Amino acid sequence: MRRLLALMVLGLALSSPAVAQRVEPPGSLPGPTLGSSPEPGTPPSVPNTSAMPDLIMDLAHPRVSITSAFQGETLLLFGMFDPPGEIVVVVAGPPSRETVMRKERFLGLWLNTGRQAFDDVPAYYFIAASQPLQRLLARGAGGEILSLEDRLSSVRSVGEREHQDLIRFRQGLVEVKRREGLYPANIGQVIVQAGRLFRADLPFPSRLPEGVYEVRAYLLREGRITAAVSRPLPVGKVGFSAELAGWAAQDGELYGLSAIALALLAGWFGGAVMRRV
Amino acid sequence: MNIFVLLALGGAAGLLAGMFGVGGGFLATPLLIFVGIPPAVAVASQANQVVANSVSSLQVQLRRGNVDIRMGLVLLLGGMMGSGGGVWLFTYLKRIGQIDFVIAVTYVVMLSAIGLLMLYESATTYIRRRRNPEAPRGKLHTHYLVHRLPFKLRFYKSKLYISALLPIGLGFVIGILSAILGVGGGFVLVPAMIYLLGMPTTVVIGTSNFQILFVAANVTFLQAASNGTVDVVLALLLIVGGVVGAPIGSRIAARLPGVVLRGLMAVLVLAVAAELLTELLRTPSSQYSISGREAPL
Repeated sequence: MRRLLALMVLGLALSSPAVAQRVEPPGSLPGPTLGSSPEPGTPPSVPNTSAMPDLIMDLAHPRVSITSAFQGETLLLFGMFDPPGEIVVVVAGPPSRETVMRKERFLGLWLNTGRQAFDDVPAYYFIAASQPLQRLLARGAGGEILSLEDRLSSVRSVGEREHQDLIRFRQGLVEVKRREGLYPANIGQVIVQAGRLFRADLPFPSRLPEGVYEVRAYLLREGRITAAVSRPLPVGKVGFSAELAGWAAQDGELYGLSAIALALLAGWFGGAVMRRV
Repeated sequence: MNIFVLLALGGAAGLLAGMFGVGGGFLATPLLIFVGIPPAVAVASQANQVVANSVSSLQVQLRRGNVDIRMGLVLLLGGMMGSGGGVWLFTYLKRIGQIDFVIAVTYVVMLSAIGLLMLYESATTYIRRRRNPEAPRGKLHTHYLVHRLPFKLRFYKSKLYISALLPIGLGFVIGILSAILGVGGGFVLVPAMIYLLGMPTTVVIGTSNFQILFVAANVTFLQAASNGTVDVVLALLLIVGGVVGAPIGSRIAARLPGVVLRGLMAVLVLAVAAELLTELLRTPSSQYSISGREAPL
């Protein structure tokens, strides 16, 4: 049995250079290589002024790296502000079109009977605040700070549909996103220490869509935004799985042919080896 | 998705394949769906695994000279058309959001039919053997109306003189099944070759492997090119599991009488069909879903 394993490992090792060669994506993919550490030189999003700004923030990691073992992660956001004031953090994933399907019972079986597409749906949406949001935005002066409900009321539905039904589909969209942890139901807590330091945990679930997310922090005084900083947060697959995914999407034909070649090799040698044992 | 779950799954499928002498795809795909792989990805990646599986069997069959290449090529003609049409159908169903439903329903129908037939066959054989162990097997090769179709061809290795339309049609049906279910189709093809075409059993396995290899390769290519649903990592895990599992399965099989083996298989097939059916009948936790969301591996 041990000899068999050694033979199999040998077989894999022999076939892997060919595989590795083909795995290179046709276009260079954005994103880091496997195991790279966060660049030490990445500056926090400090406005380029000589005077000390009212609000600064940074993230514990400059990006969210989805490896094949990614199980979701909590990213620490931290910063400092000039008191007095309250802090609100909004994280939004890249907007895109999402198609919501609705299942109905048909002859006893559940199948998709309705569909509705929405444009400009954020892939992810999370808000954290140092005080209950309603109180902070009570005077309606929050301006660009949108709760999830406000944000979603602006998504455009594609095609015609009766208003009530549209609302149900929109609720369905939120329901699915909630379940996947992409629209966390609770407002997160921004913890303020020593009156001027703040921190918040950004929860990212395991099924995280890729793209460039936007992290914004607002400084509010008496219900008004007095300062805001923003920085992009790239979320992407890294390593082998990223290269494969990019390759499969960009050059499906070549990917398919390589998949067949791999299967032929593995089947032929695997079968030959196993028969000898 | 946990790598070891998938490896174990590939191993289990390989074990079954070895035990029952079938590709195992028609059990592996539902199992993949049970562990949460989207049906569209499960089907396409399983087709890739079938390529490895059939080339592995084919090399033995070729050495023994058990492949009727001519019959294989005629079957393949239909198989290519069928798998091309099948992938087109798959793409269309995926676009209108019904592919998962169609895969599940087709599996329920196929597995129930096969399971019941096998159960019936093994039960009657068992009863007959117990009554009279010497009973001869029934006649295998009968002539039906289908043997009067035009375009007759001579298949020397299979000792047949039949219409080419028959294997072409058969290949076509298997091709569609292969594209939509991700199976090689051996579990339909083999009985059809024996009972419908009347081929000698010695060349049936090798010839079906020949046809399945090319059809599965075609499905893999078309799925990757038009739907992007082939997951090589998933396929590789299934292949490795299968390569290890199959010989173990055939060793277990050698110690069990055939009737018992087929009876067990029938029960297993029916259990999978029942589980798929309850998933279709059960009220879903949510009526809503977002289309086109593939699970990352």
